[in-house]
Amino acid sequence: MSVIRGVGLKWMSAGLASAAIAAIALGSIDTARAADPRAELFQKFQTAVKGKTVAWVPVWLGVLESEWTRVMKAHFDDYGIKLIVRDPNFKSDVQLQAVSSLINEKPDILVVQNPTTTLLARELKRAMDSGIKVIQVNMASNQLTDAYVGADVPKLGRVLAEEVVKTCGGGKGSGKVAILQGEATAAYSLDMTKAATEIFNGDKSIKVVSSQPTNWDANKAADVTTNVLQQNPDLCGIFSVWGPQTAGAAQVVKNAGKQGQVKIFVASDGQPADCDMVEQGLFTKNLSYRADTQGEAIVNAVLTLLQDSRPAGTTQLAYYTTNYWVSGKDDRHYCFVVPKE
Amino acid sequence: MSSEIAAGGQQQRARYKPSQAIIVLGVTVLLFVVLSAALPGFVTLGNLFTLARNISILGILALGMAVVVIGRGIDLSQIATLACSAAIAVTLINSGWPAFPAIGLGLVLSIAIGAANGFLVSVVEIPALFTTLASGLLVLGVTRALVVPHYQVFLQPGHDWLLKLGGTVAGGLPVPVIAFAICALALHLFLSRTVLGRFIYAHGDNAQAARLSGMATRPLTMLEYAICSGIGYVGGVIMVGSTSLMHLQVAESTMIFDVILVVVLGGVSLVGGRGNVVSVIAGTVLIGVLLNAMTIMNLDIQTQDMIKGGVLLLAIALDSYIHPRDEETAKQGD
Repeated sequence: MSVIRGVGLKWMSAGLASAAIAAIALGSIDTARAADPRAELFQKFQTAVKGKTVAWVPVWLGVLESEWTRVMKAHFDDYGIKLIVRDPNFKSDVQLQAVSSLINEKPDILVVQNPTTTLLARELKRAMDSGIKVIQVNMASNQLTDAYVGADVPKLGRVLAEEVVKTCGGGKGSGKVAILQGEATAAYSLDMTKAATEIFNGDKSIKVVSSQPTNWDANKAADVTTNVLQQNPDLCGIFSVWGPQTAGAAQVVKNAGKQGQVKIFVASDGQPADCDMVEQGLFTKNLSYRADTQGEAIVNAVLTLLQDSRPAGTTQLAYYTTNYWVSGKDDRHYCFVVPKE
Repeated sequence: MSSEIAAGGQQQRARYKPSQAIIVLGVTVLLFVVLSAALPGFVTLGNLFTLARNISILGILALGMAVVVIGRGIDLSQIATLACSAAIAVTLINSGWPAFPAIGLGLVLSIAIGAANGFLVSVVEIPALFTTLASGLLVLGVTRALVVPHYQVFLQPGHDWLLKLGGTVAGGLPVPVIAFAICALALHLFLSRTVLGRFIYAHGDNAQAARLSGMATRPLTMLEYAICSGIGYVGGVIMVGSTSLMHLQVAESTMIFDVILVVVLGGVSLVGGRGNVVSVIAGTVLIGVLLNAMTIMNLDIQTQDMIKGGVLLLAIALDSYIHPRDEETAKQGD
């Protein structure tokens, strides 16, 4: 054995040495003939990227969207890409107008966050027809575009609901579950509620005692939860589609002295407050995704499309977000940190 | 109320005409009886406390709004003002301020915004609808830009006494209900027993006559809006107490319309000078019974909207039937 290994090593070292000599020789010839290939690569990147314009239209600039914007801005500044941000502040007509006028301004890339599957569909098609590459974030519209970056919302709902079933189903609890929706018409909330309801209906031991919209409002969530707890003191679990609204429900559960008895499961966008709530024992578990890494995924999609010389509408790339469980202090790193300005 | 008696005394319209608050209370009682019979779990002490708790904040805000509406105004900035003042107070507490000065500063701020609204309405003479629509946006914008960039501010742990405002006292009585009761009683005494309170009715009933008879209607208007914001702020602090956070998005929600709905429903007419604290309580309780029952029945949002919309239309129809519009009164809210 040792003999064979010795021989092998000898051969290998000889091979390495000759390869190294060859590489040095080639390299010197190359630099003599043209630019360093690494410099060339950078040059190519610079030409493709520098001075380009990215237009970004979120639904509004909430915590999640601000974090995306912050990450995008930091990277784009570094690469010399110009970022235009329009904040429609949750008003769909304003958002539509913003996208329409941006198409006339001809940015190289248009990044949009869809409020519904249909609102921006026509304009996104028009943007691609006029040569602007389009990236959609966190919700794909019916019109597919060059790239999609974001969470798979139905999957988020399914995974979170399965966790609720694991905790409350099969006789482990009363099996009574309340769903806290977001805004009744928001597709994010609809998709997640629908996926979760399917899971809940598929398990006979689970009974959904309430499924009410909260309009993203902690006060409304508190009211609904007070009612539900009153009617179902043996409630086992609360399934909520979003963190901040759930804070109201958690406070009600705490005031009722049922902290720990009523388990609260939340789909989270990785806001720092959501991790705080888990650490204080107010939420049982978050299924989180990280806004900062999502922001980086958006940046990567932008870089990919800028370096791809094919025209708009050729590709349909997807960058699905990975989800993480947050159930205690050790999972803090799955929530992002809002930097002090 | 007094105007109705006066109207009733005229000519053939001598028969008894119940005030809108009485009608609404009647409808509420009827609804209550039906629901008690039909809906299991509705008529229990626990559920009644739940019901009362859920309407307390809305009721408190409606008390404030009623003062402005009685003075023939309207304040669309009430929610924005309370949300921003409370958010600023919470931010100060989080940054280490002692709680009382922080909360006090919030109160001063909200009263100042209210008084500024009153100034713009009465001295600069911009219609209340536009003034308060714009000032609400301004307050929200400034607060977001300077203090709360991300729309929401969470109260840091360690201020459990503030969270007690959202809890219950012995016997399960919710603290928000007590706050609502205190505000209602104080406002009732103010409106019915003090000169200033009577002035507000006179101002709403006929602003010109009030002015000509020597009332300082401009400071009076400022007072009305300041009371509205100040009482609203109490509701805001209780919001923080019950949810441990202030989410500025409430300022852009339809909550302000719920407040106006409660006020108008109970019979505080948009024409001004009419209605009282009982009207507000009547409106609040009816909405509370409706919301509570709809949540227990787990109705979907479409059905809830239909029921709420129907009730609002009914209330407005009732309002215009009992208080017909005429040249003198058809100014505000039309």
